[in-house]
Amino acid sequence: MNELLGKLAACIEFGKVNLASPYPPHMKDQEGADEITRRALDGGVDPQDILYFGLMPGMERVGIKFRENRVFVPQVLMSARAMSTAMLHLKPYFLSGAARQKGTYIIGTVLGDLHDIGKNLVAMMVEGNGYKVVDLGTDVNSEKFIAAIKENTGAVVGLSALLTTTMVNMQHITSEIKKAVPETLVTIGGAPVNHDFCKKIGADFYAPDPQGVVEFLNKK
Amino acid sequence: MMNREFNFRLDELVIDQQEVAAVLGYDEGPLPEPFDSYLEQAMDESFGLTDIRAAYRIVDDIMVNEKEHLLMACGLAFKVGKTVCGELKGSQRLAFFICSAGKTISEKAEKLLKGEDPVLGYVYNVVGNAIAEAAGNRMQLFLKQAMEKSGDLITNRYSPGYCHWNVADQHKLFSLFPDSTCGVSLTSSALMQPVKSISGVIGIGRNVKYRAYPCELCSAANCIYRRTMHH
Repeated sequence: MNELLGKLAACIEFGKVNLASPYPPHMKDQEGADEITRRALDGGVDPQDILYFGLMPGMERVGIKFRENRVFVPQVLMSARAMSTAMLHLKPYFLSGAARQKGTYIIGTVLGDLHDIGKNLVAMMVEGNGYKVVDLGTDVNSEKFIAAIKENTGAVVGLSALLTTTMVNMQHITSEIKKAVPETLVTIGGAPVNHDFCKKIGADFYAPDPQGVVEFLNKK
Repeated sequence: MMNREFNFRLDELVIDQQEVAAVLGYDEGPLPEPFDSYLEQAMDESFGLTDIRAAYRIVDDIMVNEKEHLLMACGLAFKVGKTVCGELKGSQRLAFFICSAGKTISEKAEKLLKGEDPVLGYVYNVVGNAIAEAAGNRMQLFLKQAMEKSGDLITNRYSPGYCHWNVADQHKLFSLFPDSTCGVSLTSSALMQPVKSISGVIGIGRNVKYRAYPCELCSAANCIYRRTMHH
């Protein structure tokens, strides 16, 4: 079992989607996340173990390498693609309750901003680390965030912005969220924001990279 | 007042593929597989684009109010902020502009990103940005050449959403142009559609300055363009 899950973790880390995928070159003609996940399930491996000991370690390694500038956005997207392929096999088990995710993370780019690459990377990384992700997309107002929080009790929220002029909308959205559902934890991220801004607007956590969000969620 | 519109082909634009590779993250050495072929595919396909467009409108009814960080043009007050106001100081005229890489590549990138191949979608996304900026560079070059004839200089271009210029001013900026100029429209929250579009203003005058390194003006320390793009 360990060997299979170790191989699966490597597929996620290096973005090996399936047997047909030529990427990465050093794994050409090898099985990918698709076949290995299927084989693990057919062989009776607990779906929870596949998530915890196959997918999550692989995604964690990608997150750390991205933080350290050892891999870049395209490679992270490739890993996320491998992970999504594996998750398709696990989805029925999450729906039936046979396997459980660690919690829910609601994410969106704030009102007036359509930049979504950073937001998507965080969403992929968080999902790959065992959380259900509700992605509200871009140009999201406080009403949409609050509606999603009410539908997903206990969820943590992530606000993303790229522009100095839209980061100010984080303050209003955070304040409205805290007013509507005070116990909600709000994380923020994006090029113009920092820890001081996070404190100033009353948010709970600022992460400069996707792995930081994962570490925050794992600690809470 | 003077208006000009351009329809560009990709082979008329200068796109440095090394810069594109750097934005993708690979600023040293060749792009690894399969991203090299993805970039080649996105560039090859972009040579067929027919909707890369740019337009500028020059207005002379202007005032740069440094005290209140306002730019007045055609009776409209633009809250451009201290930085942009300072950069446009000395302008005798202003050129407002809209440029777009077009609907085709914007939609292609979006569709791939949300669907069958997010990695290829990301490459199209970066190429789309590069095309919009390259169209902006070409338009800016034509503007510079036109202004030189009367002995005027131009500044860099500045856009709502950056350097603390409120993005809501897009509505005022677009009101200076006929509807759907360059095929670009605004959402109610001032976002441009197609997404691979840029808009903004350029100062014109005898005593304005062009900055070789405009990134010094911006506080976004983590911006991926900081090291790679100059305009």
